[in-house]
Amino acid sequence: MPVFRFILQRVLQAILVTLAVTLFVSFAIRLTGDPAIMLTADSSNVTEEDLAFIRETLGLNKPFFVQYLDFLKSLLSGDLGESFFRGSVRDLIAIAMPSTLLLAISSLGISILISIPLGIHSALHKGGLSDQVIRVLSLVGLSFPNFWLGIMFVLLLSITFPIFPASGFETWSALILPATTIGIILTATNVRLVRTQMLETLSAQYVMVARAKGLNERSVVYKHALRNAAIAIVTFLGLQFGNLIGGLVVVELVFNWPGMGTLSIEAIAQRDYPLLQATVSILAIMIVGVNLAVDLIYGLIDPRIRVA
Amino acid sequence: MSISTLKDSDLLSVRDLTIEFGYGDFTVRAVDNVSFDLQRNKTLAIVGESGSGKSISSLAILGLLKHLHGRITKGSMLFDSEVLGRQVDLTQLSERELRRIRGNEIAMIFQEPMTSLNPVFTIGSQMGETLALHQGLSQSAARKKALEFLELVRLPNAKRMLGNYPHQLSGGMRQRVMIAMALCCQPKILIADEPTTALDVTIQAQILHIIRDLQAEMGTSVVFISHDMGVVSEMADDVLVMKASKSVETGTVKQVLGSPTEPYTQALLAAVPRIGSMTGTTAPQLFDIPGQTQSNDTVAATAIDYSKPVLELENLTTRYDVRGGLLNRVTHRVHAAENVSLSIYPGETLALVGESGSGKSTVGKTIQQLVDPVSGAMRYHGKDIFSLPAAERKAFRKQTQYVFQDPYGSMNPRKTVGESLIEPAWVHGLVSTKQEAKDKVADLLVKVGLPAEHANRFPHQFSGGQRQRLCIARALACDPSLIIADEAVSALDVSVQAQVVNLLMKLQADQGLSYLFITHDMAVVERISHRVAVMYLGQIVEIGSRQQIFENPQHPYTKRLLSAVPVLNPGHRPTRPPLEGEIPSAMRAVGNEPNLVDLQRVEEGHFFAAQSAEEHQAVLL
Repeated sequence: MPVFRFILQRVLQAILVTLAVTLFVSFAIRLTGDPAIMLTADSSNVTEEDLAFIRETLGLNKPFFVQYLDFLKSLLSGDLGESFFRGSVRDLIAIAMPSTLLLAISSLGISILISIPLGIHSALHKGGLSDQVIRVLSLVGLSFPNFWLGIMFVLLLSITFPIFPASGFETWSALILPATTIGIILTATNVRLVRTQMLETLSAQYVMVARAKGLNERSVVYKHALRNAAIAIVTFLGLQFGNLIGGLVVVELVFNWPGMGTLSIEAIAQRDYPLLQATVSILAIMIVGVNLAVDLIYGLIDPRIRVA
Repeated sequence: MSISTLKDSDLLSVRDLTIEFGYGDFTVRAVDNVSFDLQRNKTLAIVGESGSGKSISSLAILGLLKHLHGRITKGSMLFDSEVLGRQVDLTQLSERELRRIRGNEIAMIFQEPMTSLNPVFTIGSQMGETLALHQGLSQSAARKKALEFLELVRLPNAKRMLGNYPHQLSGGMRQRVMIAMALCCQPKILIADEPTTALDVTIQAQILHIIRDLQAEMGTSVVFISHDMGVVSEMADDVLVMKASKSVETGTVKQVLGSPTEPYTQALLAAVPRIGSMTGTTAPQLFDIPGQTQSNDTVAATAIDYSKPVLELENLTTRYDVRGGLLNRVTHRVHAAENVSLSIYPGETLALVGESGSGKSTVGKTIQQLVDPVSGAMRYHGKDIFSLPAAERKAFRKQTQYVFQDPYGSMNPRKTVGESLIEPAWVHGLVSTKQEAKDKVADLLVKVGLPAEHANRFPHQFSGGQRQRLCIARALACDPSLIIADEAVSALDVSVQAQVVNLLMKLQADQGLSYLFITHDMAVVERISHRVAVMYLGQIVEIGSRQQIFENPQHPYTKRLLSAVPVLNPGHRPTRPPLEGEIPSAMRAVGNEPNLVDLQRVEEGHFFAAQSAEEHQAVLL
């Protein structure tokens, strides 16, 4: 029962967060300019009547809250409405979402595969040469802006040495550069986290008890210590998902990756209210959803918060 | 490999063991040329105060020093190993060989039962791991064996316990699980590092009993590390006394504890509070500290005026709500303090004794208004505190000050001692100028026996005992009439404890202070208190003068508390029956109110709960 209540609470929370985010986004984008003027910017003889006609066709003459409620209705019904310029929002998102998810999962995977072994190694050799090298490298990684790292990769591995494509998503090899870019940035923080968590659990009394039982270092480290460190690591990964999405938007732009980030940036540029509202809401729901999933996993790995 | 060999009667022989930490100029010698022998089927106690190197020596036997970044620089540890089929020098073994011995032939129990078990694995899997490793048992066979040992340490519902996680067990239960886990491979040596220090005294008696029983049954040799002379006297055959990483004195328990030759051992023994040592006296008495002559006259001569109490509690009840269920309603309540009535008189020490969960700290917190009571009255010099306006309640708070258990956690590490000491006086507007504050700090430091110049130092520059003096000084800053000392000396080494208790008694005699001395330690209570109230499951079950409680205890819980205290009587093994079963919890479902006890008069000033005595007789005796 507590698990049920917990999920219920989180779903309510997700709805509230989505409402707040969409309300803010819908409101803010309307401050940045009039789509009717944007549409007619290239034409010379535009009359007030033309503009009024466009506004009426797009539904922009209605009061803000009516427009917002219309959007919520379309969000709830799942059809997500029509973009101002590009047809069904649902179709656009259906194309963009898989490539974004692919990119997100690959970069997270890369960072986990690198940071956990490195973090553990660093913790086990605290103060040693390898630990210091790892720490310096992670600091360097932390200091790179993600777009700069992306541009450097393109310059080096697509232009100077044309190994990988510089943009788009025509071949699988195109995934490597953007995923590595985000992966490296995430790894830099994750290594430090894994290291600190492992240092903490390795100094716990139960780790000494495990050693006193005669277990080998492998069981002590990977079974007894890592399992406990994982509790904090998983929580952090969930929190990091928000940053991941943020980084994704920028890196997608650098690599012209056909994902949600690129889609929402285009929507901003074109003042495409319905498209922007939909993409941002869906990203927000995803972040809340991932955090909910993390909380549930947390209950699985930490028996103490499983309510009896 | 080894030049010398073991005597037949010895199982382990340590020679010139020297352990160092750090490098170059920063090398610290934690153990310096220590030698001892552990005989087969005997218990060797290593005694010393914190930092003497006793725990480090035990980790060295297991070859676990490198994980603490320490190393053995000299010495040998001969051990007769069956697994390896020969006599070995533990200092020379490879990691692989050591792993076959660890947990199998030499097992260890650690001090902190709360953190010794891995929180994310079940008891069954943690025990099974050892059995699978050393005995190659299958999962079901390991389970069966684990069950057998859990029953051996008298854990109720052993079967269910296999599937439990550590957080579901109490400290005493966890320590029993640790013992079961350490013994399940039938080790030849059991190292017990302060195994009962963190536990309540009745639970301690139970654990010690279990260790002794199993040792006799299984023929295990025990290395028992402790700072508690009473426990050592009950457990040991041989004793090694350590001080500042060196061995001071070694011999049989009768020699070392009965007729110590070294001044340090003598001092250590003198500082041990011995229960029953004050039979026939009424007033508190200072501890004898060798090298210090002190007159007990002022402490003993202070007469207490029992006409007007400083503080009166009347039917005070404090409960904590426990929420649960779909709507987060209150489903259970912890009846932490139930119907507590007591009075504290000027210049008097009232000891409030009981074990963890008995509600004694809740009473202290309620007086200090850190928690709100559900019902009841509290009168300070006859004035009802709870009906007073906020300003007057604040004035009352100034009059009652708190000294906490942990001297390390209760001082702000980033403030100088002077700043910390004067803070309460500033808050209550007792000092107004910087000069006044400075004089006050100097005065306070001198009162608690510290040099006035120490005002500019930071807490980390002081030892545990000095910090507790500082906490007392801070409590004195507001010129209180009542000090609540919550386990104020429990975390200190015995010799330091004796000094701090003496300080408290002298301050009381000089300033007419009243103390509410909250503790579980009956031996200290006997020294310091005028009257004693015993709490059990949130209620006072017995109250009387110190002499009445110690010489004529009525309630079975009081008797249990008194008999559980280890007695310093070398060679004599206690005969008290162990506590069977568990002390019930004070948490009850809403609507399931506890029976309120009715205190009956034994004689003038001495009351006890006769009905509850009958009810709890079965559990307690």
